[in-house]
Amino acid sequence: MPHLNAAYGLARYLMRNDADADDVVQEAYLRALRYFGGFRGEEASRGRAWVLAIVRNTASTWRRRHRSDASATEFDETIHSEAAAADGPGSELARRDSEETLAKALDRLPPDLREVILLREIEGLSYKEIGDVTDVPIGTVMSRLSRARKRLQAALAVSGKER
Amino acid sequence: MTHPDVEAQVDALLDGELAERDAAEVEAHLAACPACARFREDRLALRSAVRAELPRLDAPDVLRARVRAALRKEAGHQRGLLGRAGRWLALAASLAAVAIGSWQLGSMHGATSVLADEVIASHVRSLMPGHLSDVTSSDQHTVKPWFDGRLDFSPPVHDFAGRGFPLLGGRLDYLNGRPVAALVYGRRQHFVSVFLWPADRPSRGDPPLERRGYHVLHWATPEFTYWVTSDIGLAELTDFAGMLRLADSTAARAGSER
Repeated sequence: MPHLNAAYGLARYLMRNDADADDVVQEAYLRALRYFGGFRGEEASRGRAWVLAIVRNTASTWRRRHRSDASATEFDETIHSEAAAADGPGSELARRDSEETLAKALDRLPPDLREVILLREIEGLSYKEIGDVTDVPIGTVMSRLSRARKRLQAALAVSGKER
Repeated sequence: MTHPDVEAQVDALLDGELAERDAAEVEAHLAACPACARFREDRLALRSAVRAELPRLDAPDVLRARVRAALRKEAGHQRGLLGRAGRWLALAASLAAVAIGSWQLGSMHGATSVLADEVIASHVRSLMPGHLSDVTSSDQHTVKPWFDGRLDFSPPVHDFAGRGFPLLGGRLDYLNGRPVAALVYGRRQHFVSVFLWPADRPSRGDPPLERRGYHVLHWATPEFTYWVTSDIGLAELTDFAGMLRLADSTAARAGSER
């Protein structure tokens, strides 16, 4: 199975839990097989960006289907992290908390901003490939990257001050 | 104050998306504009923080096996049984048969026969999702070093992808009261397990055994005892064993000449 690690990485960051990520990856590979004839011949040459596009679309279908669950989880996570942050001024806790801030900030990004960061920074796709995967023009890729980075940059500045 | 139009250019520059001439222009501006230069520093810091805190994640073996099984089932490779699910049932049944049937073994060749059943049971166990291999690689130069430090011997590892038996990976197993190397090869939708450990003495081996649809071959070189099992046909498995013996003796000869 080509590109399974990349597919899993994207699904895991998009879905933010193991069980959903696993389900999305399996569903994506089944879709690839069902609707595109799998990974042999011509399809194989489309490569990683093609697999990631299917994972990304499967993930967004999944989120729509399970929207109420997902928003409930997000709400809990926010409560939980704020409670944890208020909880202890102990240096170890504070350090761990600030280290987590960037990951949390990424989690808080809307999906369309989060995915461009993942595809660019973790998967190393070009603007063109990101545009293909997310089905938007390159100009949109650039503006989303810029907005996403601005918000992450702010989170990083906060965590830097806390340190 | 940074220059907003430059910010987008800096992002593109750092992402390697600017043409050479545009990149040179941006660099020239950065050299002259401290605010924009600081913006670039911040972006570089962000990039390294993102890469440090958001590691690449590798798919767990369990997921790999699960997706593989789902694809195989979907593709309708239903050889006799109803796809993978049916095969699991058959495997579970044969595991039970191993347990229930072991009282019959006394009538066969004693220890060899017990070992043959251990070999089949281990092979069957490895087919459960996620158990096929500890190191998943078709590269013998990845699989072989993986065993170093995990075993007190260094098993020879060959790949026969060119002849229809691709190496899929390796794992540690426990047979005959000792840790052994297990190598996994693919054959169409089937798997072949090769177990090996240092030999007591060379042996031409035993006649092939068949139990519940699994063939078992056994032989020993001066160095290693081999047990090979699969549910593929005996003729194919014998061919495979032949390749393995040839590769092994060639490697041994090359080793002694060195």
